[in-house]
Amino acid sequence: MTAHFPPIDTDPHPAFPVYSAGNFGEVAPDRISPVSWSLVGTPMERATRRLAARCFGERPWVQGSHYVFLGYFACKPYHNLSAYTRLAGRLPLVAPEDVTAAYFEGTRPPRPGRAREGALRQAAALPRLIRELTRLGPALRRLEEEIADLELLARTAVSLGGEAALVEVLTRAAPVLDDAWDAHIVATTGLVPLGVVQRRVNGLVVPHAEAVTPWLNRPAELVWERLHAFSGDLAPGGFLGTSFYEVAEDRAPWSRFSARRRAEPAPAGPDAGPLVDPAEAALGMLGPGRRRLAAALARVMAETMASREHSKSLVMRVLHVHRRVLPELVRHWPLGDADWPYLTIEELRRLHRAPGLAGRAADRAAACAEAVDEPMPGRLDFSGGSGGGARRGRAAAPAAGSGVSPGRVTGVVVRPPADDIPGDRTAILVCESADADVAPLLGLVGGVVTGRGSAMSHIAILAREHRVPAVVGHPGAAALRPGDMITIDGTTGEVHAEPTFTG
Amino acid sequence: MKILVVGASGYLGGAVCARLEWAGHEVIGLGRSGGGPARRALRGDATRPSLALAGDALDEVRAEVTHIVTAFGSVDWDAGPAEALDLHAAGVRNVLALARGCERFTGLVHVSSLLALGRASGRAGNRELYVGQTFRNWYEYGKYAAEGLVRAARDVPSTNVRFGPLLGVPVSPGTLSARHGLLAAVRPLLQGYPVHLRGGGEFPCYPGEVTGAAEVVARAVEAPATGGTWTWFDPDGPTLADVLRALCRPLGRVPRIVDSTAAGRLQRALASRAGVPPALLGYCEPWFDLDPAVLDAVPGGPPRCPAGYLEATGREVFA
Repeated sequence: MTAHFPPIDTDPHPAFPVYSAGNFGEVAPDRISPVSWSLVGTPMERATRRLAARCFGERPWVQGSHYVFLGYFACKPYHNLSAYTRLAGRLPLVAPEDVTAAYFEGTRPPRPGRAREGALRQAAALPRLIRELTRLGPALRRLEEEIADLELLARTAVSLGGEAALVEVLTRAAPVLDDAWDAHIVATTGLVPLGVVQRRVNGLVVPHAEAVTPWLNRPAELVWERLHAFSGDLAPGGFLGTSFYEVAEDRAPWSRFSARRRAEPAPAGPDAGPLVDPAEAALGMLGPGRRRLAAALARVMAETMASREHSKSLVMRVLHVHRRVLPELVRHWPLGDADWPYLTIEELRRLHRAPGLAGRAADRAAACAEAVDEPMPGRLDFSGGSGGGARRGRAAAPAAGSGVSPGRVTGVVVRPPADDIPGDRTAILVCESADADVAPLLGLVGGVVTGRGSAMSHIAILAREHRVPAVVGHPGAAALRPGDMITIDGTTGEVHAEPTFTG
Repeated sequence: MKILVVGASGYLGGAVCARLEWAGHEVIGLGRSGGGPARRALRGDATRPSLALAGDALDEVRAEVTHIVTAFGSVDWDAGPAEALDLHAAGVRNVLALARGCERFTGLVHVSSLLALGRASGRAGNRELYVGQTFRNWYEYGKYAAEGLVRAARDVPSTNVRFGPLLGVPVSPGTLSARHGLLAAVRPLLQGYPVHLRGGGEFPCYPGEVTGAAEVVARAVEAPATGGTWTWFDPDGPTLADVLRALCRPLGRVPRIVDSTAAGRLQRALASRAGVPPALLGYCEPWFDLDPAVLDAVPGGPPRCPAGYLEATGREVFA
């Protein structure tokens, strides 16, 4: 039984009772401030609803005043697993397990309801989703330009410090943020059915498909490397040294959950890879027809994964604009510098016209101070006896690790901040989850093990990009000590301590 | 001169140990199941760092070994990508790391395979490794990746030695498997199934006799390691059809080799039911065009293969 925090918590959805921190838990801080929630959760909810409407038409279950796809309890962001399960059940071929395997660390999905979508509507959803995916590339390029403009405007506004210009930045940022989340949701959702189709097709045409597919899906280029070239405040890569999803990261209590250090670009490691990479070799082993099919599917998957990372970086850039603009702006208002993280972005945008909104901050600050100390489980289930704010929390079942980037490697455990990566021996990075400061280390290590994560996690995609074997979601990751010698298998997900034997 | 033979309990490794000891060298045989026929044997594993050696054994290797021969890794054309890369590429990485730590190290002899050339386009010689080829299976890719690693490691003096399929009576009994490699084709032939080979199999398949191969490895150990690549195969150049006929001869069978596209299609469709490993089907077409002059690079001229070694292999394995 956990306390309820009415001034900040969202109401649990009456029909979809199971929530999971899943994908949030890997990248976002454990608790985020109300303003960050309004920049992350609320637009994500809107974007998912819009996508559902575009794929299935206006359906009653994705409408209404409750949050359907997301939830915010005791300052911890959650995805509504039941709602995603239902969404998955409405796409042809896709099973709820495919969603949980891709984004929710393979947890057991809740039982889907009896309500089914009509066969015709279900079949029509796939081409509609594909249409959305084809529009992704142009949308991202347009957003890239708009966000560059926004960053320029914000830079000017911050340096001049005028209220009008700063409000203008907030106003212009609103549609851009919505569009960026839209793109992110389309890419994230699209990867699930694409992955299912690819798994089925590759199972028929590619020998050893399970081991080969992650190689095939390696994106040609990810956006992160490019962003490292831009450093400095409000430059496109300015957010890389900050905390993902938290815009009030240097204010208590949020700073407790978002310890970050400066991220540096990965230096060019020794080129260990052969000239022909395994993906090229795998395609070469197929006959011409099969090769074309497998290569086309892999291309689509890789592009969509790259688009997903790209959209995520765009969202982070808009968040970073807010991170810089909001503290400057509140100086003009009758609002304490410590209070703005407790207002939502909608309230902050209207504050210059309705100064009374500032009074809401005090209540919420008190509730948040209490809420952040409340232990919150990775999985919430409101299905039983949900009267009067009662809630039952169950920890996610400890799933075994899953291999997401193939290859086997033996090395010494290092933990971030890994300042002591041994130069002469292979190092294996062990961390709880992926965040911005792990990425630059991937060029220096021979393998990755994380405690959190799924097949489509940030860290999984990065590891494949760097051709580094990776195991995510391994329950024993926390027990590994720096200096231990371990062997990891990025195909099977095995991690074991290295015994030595002699003759 | 103290030589560590990695994979000493294997088919070629055993022959290499015997040949080197016969020449009076000090040999340490290393294998997962012990060290094979070598007098000094260590248990180890090429896929593990330091080859899973520890303590006194590791100290001895680091202090005294002057040469390492890599003869590990079975010729399994059906192996998956993980097996092939974890064994061949990772094994060579471990050997290179060990070699860097050996105080008196003077040379690595890496046993590569002609199959690393895959489906090479154009004429290939000793210099070529990447010739725009595609690979038939993960064994070929694993050997390709391994040789690439050895060539790229400029700080470890090495000699690459390439062989085609090795046949002949093994030094240690039971180390030649009829389930893998070219020999896997023999059982269906003995059962009388017609087998489609392009051009009736009258294309070279570069076989070699195992003691001849061991002789070439021994010469590579004795010569200074300059990063060169040597290729050796039976200088008489039997074709694939010759080899298959010779293997079947002691059992009184004549293989039914046909050249028919229709039979080829049927063969592909029915391969798994007839007990033919699917990977074998990739070798029904001419393999690659190898420059015959590569043999001249072996110092002292290419060793000859003993007469009748193919027949002896057939008798040994299938009788």
